[in-house]
Amino acid sequence: MATQQDLETFVTDVTCPDDFDAFWDEVKAELHGIPLDARAEQDPMRSTEGVKVYQVTYRSLGGLEIFAWYAAPAAGDGPFPAILHLPGYKSEPALRRDWGAKGVAVLSVAVRGKLPSSGGFNPGYPGLLTSGVEDRDTYSYKGVIADCVRGVDFLLSRPEIDAERIYCCGSSQGGGLTLITSALRPEIKAGVAGYPFLCCFPESMRMLRSYPYDELSCYQRAYPDRMDRMLDTLRYFDAVNFAPRIKCPMVVGIAMEDEVCPPETSYAAYRLLGGERELWLFPESGHGNAHEYPARERAWLEERIGVTGAQAATS
Amino acid sequence: MTTAQQGTDAFWERVEAQLAETDPGIEIERDGFYSQPEWDVYRMRYTSTGGHRLSAWLSVPHGDGPFPALIRMPDYASVHDIIYTPLRERAVVMNATHRGQRNSDGQVRAGYPGLLTDGIESAAAYTLFGAYADALRAVDVLGRQGIAELSGAVVLTGAGLGASLALAAAARRPAVSAVAADTPMALGHRLALEPGPGYPLAELGDYLRANPGSESAVESLLSVVNPVVTAPAVRCPVLMSAGRFDRSVCPLAFAEELAGALPECDFRVYDGAAEGGGHIHGQVRGAWLAERLGLEVS
Repeated sequence: MATQQDLETFVTDVTCPDDFDAFWDEVKAELHGIPLDARAEQDPMRSTEGVKVYQVTYRSLGGLEIFAWYAAPAAGDGPFPAILHLPGYKSEPALRRDWGAKGVAVLSVAVRGKLPSSGGFNPGYPGLLTSGVEDRDTYSYKGVIADCVRGVDFLLSRPEIDAERIYCCGSSQGGGLTLITSALRPEIKAGVAGYPFLCCFPESMRMLRSYPYDELSCYQRAYPDRMDRMLDTLRYFDAVNFAPRIKCPMVVGIAMEDEVCPPETSYAAYRLLGGERELWLFPESGHGNAHEYPARERAWLEERIGVTGAQAATS
Repeated sequence: MTTAQQGTDAFWERVEAQLAETDPGIEIERDGFYSQPEWDVYRMRYTSTGGHRLSAWLSVPHGDGPFPALIRMPDYASVHDIIYTPLRERAVVMNATHRGQRNSDGQVRAGYPGLLTDGIESAAAYTLFGAYADALRAVDVLGRQGIAELSGAVVLTGAGLGASLALAAAARRPAVSAVAADTPMALGHRLALEPGPGYPLAELGDYLRANPGSESAVESLLSVVNPVVTAPAVRCPVLMSAGRFDRSVCPLAFAEELAGALPECDFRVYDGAAEGGGHIHGQVRGAWLAERLGLEVS
C-alpha cells in the first residue's frame, strides 16, 4: 500500500517537450479542418420517459467515425448542462441515463479501437498502448485524445446544450483522458479524474507488472533499441504534462492500493494541476473499486453543475 | 423433479450433445511479445457449438510440470485480455472468451448494451446461451491443449457473467476442483427482470418495456440458466462474494439464495455495489485460489 509519504516524495523523470503546445495546437488545427459530420439517431428501446437516448457518430482525426452514447433529458428544450464521460482502457463506453432526470445530458465516447468505433483502427487489447508508439504522429493516443476533444465539439453542436456548462469525468484511462481533454478544451468547466491512467509512463511501467502498463514493458523487451523513441513519444501524451495547463476545478481520486495505476503517479499529476484542485484518497481500495467513489463523484458534479437536490433518475 | 429443473436438464443435454458432435480443432501458438521472463504466453483458438471459433490466452510457467490450472471465465464485456496475476508463475492460467467477444466474433459481434437481449425471442436464437457451451468447451480444451502437463487441480474464477459461467461449468464438469465467483450475474433469476436495476441487467428491463407482454416468455426462456437451479450440482468448494448495494449484476437477495443452494459455499458480503468486495476481497480471493491450487501463499 502506498503511504502519504510515498506520494509526497515521488518524483517523476517525465519532462515536457519544448514543442508540446505546438504539437497539440497542430492536432487541434487538423481536427478543425475535418467536418464533424455529427449524426444522432434516437434509440427507442433504451429511451425512457425521462431520458432520450441516442446513438451518435461524428468524425475525428484521420476521418475516423467515432461512436458515442448520448443521453439527454426528455423534458424541455434546454439549454442543458452536459457531461463528457470518457472511457476506461478496455471497458465499454457507459450508457449514462442516470443524469437525465436532473436535467443533465451525458455524452459517453467510444474512442477509436473500441467497439463500435473500431472500423478503421483496431489494434486490440492488449495492443492499443503500444500501437505506433515509435512516433508521436503515429501513436494511437494522438487519435484517442482527438476523439475526446471532438466530443466537446459534438456537445457544442447541439442546440439543447448550454456551452457554458460542460463538465468532464471518467475513471482509469477515462481519468487520464479527463485530465488531458480538460487541458485541451477550456470549454470544460470542471472535472473529476478517478484513478487516472496515462500518468508518468516510465515510472508506471517500472512499478507494476499489470496491464495495460505491462504492454510497454513487453515492448521494451522486444525492442530495446527503440526505448528512447518510445519514451520520447510518450512525453507528448503523459497527463503530468497536461496537468499545469488545466485551469478549471479538478478532482483527482486515488486508491492507495491501486495495482493498475500507481498512486504516486496519479498524485504527481494532481500536484501539478494549474487550477483549483481537490484530492480524494481511498486508503483500502484498489483500482476502480472504492465503494464511496461513485456517490462522491456524483455529489461533487451535482454541486458544480447546480442540480443538487433534484430527484435522482431511475436508469 | 421441478419444472425448472427439467427445463435446465434439457438445456444442458442439448448443449452437451452439440459439443460432442463439434470437433474443437485446437490451435495454439506462442506469443513471444507478451511472454514474460517467468512464463510463456500462448494464443489458443478452438471451436464451440454452432461452429463459433473462440480465442483464449494461455500462460504456462517456465520449468517442469505438472502444474495446477486456473481458468478465468469472461465477464460481460467485449475484451477479455491476459490480466496479470502472480499465480501465473506457478499455475497454468487460461483466459477464455465466449462467442461475440473480441477475437471470438467471427459469426456474431456482441453489443454492450445489447448482448443480454440479442436473439431473446427464442432459445435457438439467444446468443448468450452459447456462452454457456463456450464455458464448458474452455474446460474441455484446457485438458487437451498439449503444451503443459496438468496436475489435476482445475480452479475456475470469474466476476459477473464470468462467475455464473464458472458455476455452470463446475456443475457440469467434475474435474473442476474449486470456484471463486464474484458477484455472479443474476441472469435466469426472476430478480433480473424486476424494474429499476442499472446496466447490464437493465438491458432486460429495456426489452420488456419495449415489448409489453413478453415478460413471462422471457422469464421462462432465461430460467434454464438460473444459477440457483444448477447450484446443487456444484460439488466443489465455492468462494462467493457480493455487494450489499448491487442493483445491476448480482442483487443481494439473489446472491443469498444462490449461496444457500450451493453445497459448500464460503459467502462474503461487502458494503459495495457491483464491485463487490473490491480490493479487500481481492486479497481474500488471491489467498483462497492459491490454496486451492496447492500453491504456497506468499
